[in-house]
Amino acid sequence: MKLIVIAQDEVLRLFSTKRGLLSIVGFCLIWLAVLIYGVMPAAQFFGGLAESGLAELLLPEFGSSGLQHWPASELSVYWVASLYLLPFLAIMTAADQTASDRARGTLRYLVLRCGRLEIFFGRYIGQLLILFMVVLVTLFSVLVIVAMNSAENLSAAIASSPVIIVNLMLVLAPYIALMALVSVLASTARQATLYAMVIWLVVSFLVSYLKSVFPDVSLLNWALPGSQISELRSLSDWQTLSLAPIPIVHTVVLLVVGAAIMRQRDL
Amino acid sequence: MSLIHCDTLTKRYGSAVALESLNLELDSGAPIALIGPNGAGKTTLMSLICGFIQPSSGQLSILGHAPGSHELSGRLAALPQDALLDPRLSVGRQLRFYARLQGLDKQQARAEILRVLETVDLRDSIDTKPTDLSHGMRKRVAIAQSLIGSPTVVLLDEPTAGIDPPNAKMIRDLVKEQSANTTFIVSSHNLDELERLCGSVIYLEKGRLVSFGAVSDDNHDHDVLTLRAPSVPADVFMPLCQQLAHVLRVGKTSQGDYLIETDNEMQASIALLQLLADNGWRYRQLSRGKTLEERLYGNA
Repeated sequence: MKLIVIAQDEVLRLFSTKRGLLSIVGFCLIWLAVLIYGVMPAAQFFGGLAESGLAELLLPEFGSSGLQHWPASELSVYWVASLYLLPFLAIMTAADQTASDRARGTLRYLVLRCGRLEIFFGRYIGQLLILFMVVLVTLFSVLVIVAMNSAENLSAAIASSPVIIVNLMLVLAPYIALMALVSVLASTARQATLYAMVIWLVVSFLVSYLKSVFPDVSLLNWALPGSQISELRSLSDWQTLSLAPIPIVHTVVLLVVGAAIMRQRDL
Repeated sequence: MSLIHCDTLTKRYGSAVALESLNLELDSGAPIALIGPNGAGKTTLMSLICGFIQPSSGQLSILGHAPGSHELSGRLAALPQDALLDPRLSVGRQLRFYARLQGLDKQQARAEILRVLETVDLRDSIDTKPTDLSHGMRKRVAIAQSLIGSPTVVLLDEPTAGIDPPNAKMIRDLVKEQSANTTFIVSSHNLDELERLCGSVIYLEKGRLVSFGAVSDDNHDHDVLTLRAPSVPADVFMPLCQQLAHVLRVGKTSQGDYLIETDNEMQASIALLQLLADNGWRYRQLSRGKTLEERLYGNA
């Protein structure tokens, strides 16, 4: 029950603060620009390439086979673009889950009324809900464009939407978990972002080193959150869920570590 | 069941000991003063009780539960030192959220925050952001949050520090009014304030418990009078007072009060008042026993 109240508050906090409202307006403007100048022309371009067969030749790295499998080229472009863009948004919006509240002492008012883990997981769920809404809104805007450009593909595109939503949430979950963890360690959102970058770089170097020492250990390829994205972009439909265990494991590990620190840390 | 029970409670920060083997049993009732010099361990003790920090060793229970337990939600409240509300959100919105976390539904939460804001005379500030309030008003809002749900025990860490006299008086009056149903534990450096507010006093020094007992200690204070009379000429008054019946010794404290030892406090009081009247000397206060400050730090 308290978990729901905290998650609800986390979502409402976004709409109750000037900074939150500015982020929403800013994101809407950026997304509008992405739609008009990115998704629409790119969809036409890649649609043409896919039909002519040039995509396989020119863009093997881009996962062109995936582009062909989605029912509308707008959806294909959205799929690839959101796989890379939304994690950045997650890092920015989820950076201050507990950091500034701890530095300000506001967290003390909260722990008198609920458990530390309820705060930690409640805020995490709140951030998941915020990004879920972002995914819904952005996907809806792309479906509107599909309806305008190629109405005959709309029903198939709508049918594919659940796959995209589930997959994007699976991609975003470990990023939000990472930010939940660093937010426990940091005192500001900026510091949390910095910590996330440092952790990212350290783990990257460590993984590279370990891969050079143990080249046969394929598990190392999946050590970093988001490491499945390059594979994911070339997949479509429910086959994309074949990679789901990777972000789930990342999320669980990050949340367990974050929760353990949250429980022990002085306020 | 005791309000708070500490059993060899210890808190260390690295090699520094903030609180050492504290044994304490507090019961509900009149407000309890928590005093001691800076670094004595007052805030550490409050933070341990609230579950903000973990003890290094020892046991601590509040209303029979461990700090941070779900059972204490809504029963234990606090005004932590230096804790601030979120400056971006209105006072009402934040207090409503706290009330909801204490299990109140939306309507109950709305009614409860109106009640607590009314109690601190800030009902009109419900839609105001904390940054738009004065320091004293922010402190009162913080006290209002501690009153949500009428908790059993409230810890106030220096509630009047840095507050102007009218706001400080309002906070003192509020503690007095609310102490019928709630036990307050108040940490402060203002001993006069604590003496007027509290029934008992915990004195800490260098992380150790020095004393715990009633503010007015009748067992030790029956033979001493404290006279506050700043306009009385000390060089004339003290020899005359010394000659009064039942007066054994007259001294002066560092605060300028006269400390009069007697063998019969009632008779000595009458004689003393007669002396003051005969000489046309005005006095501000005559009280039995020593002031709290004199008892703790005085040499007289």
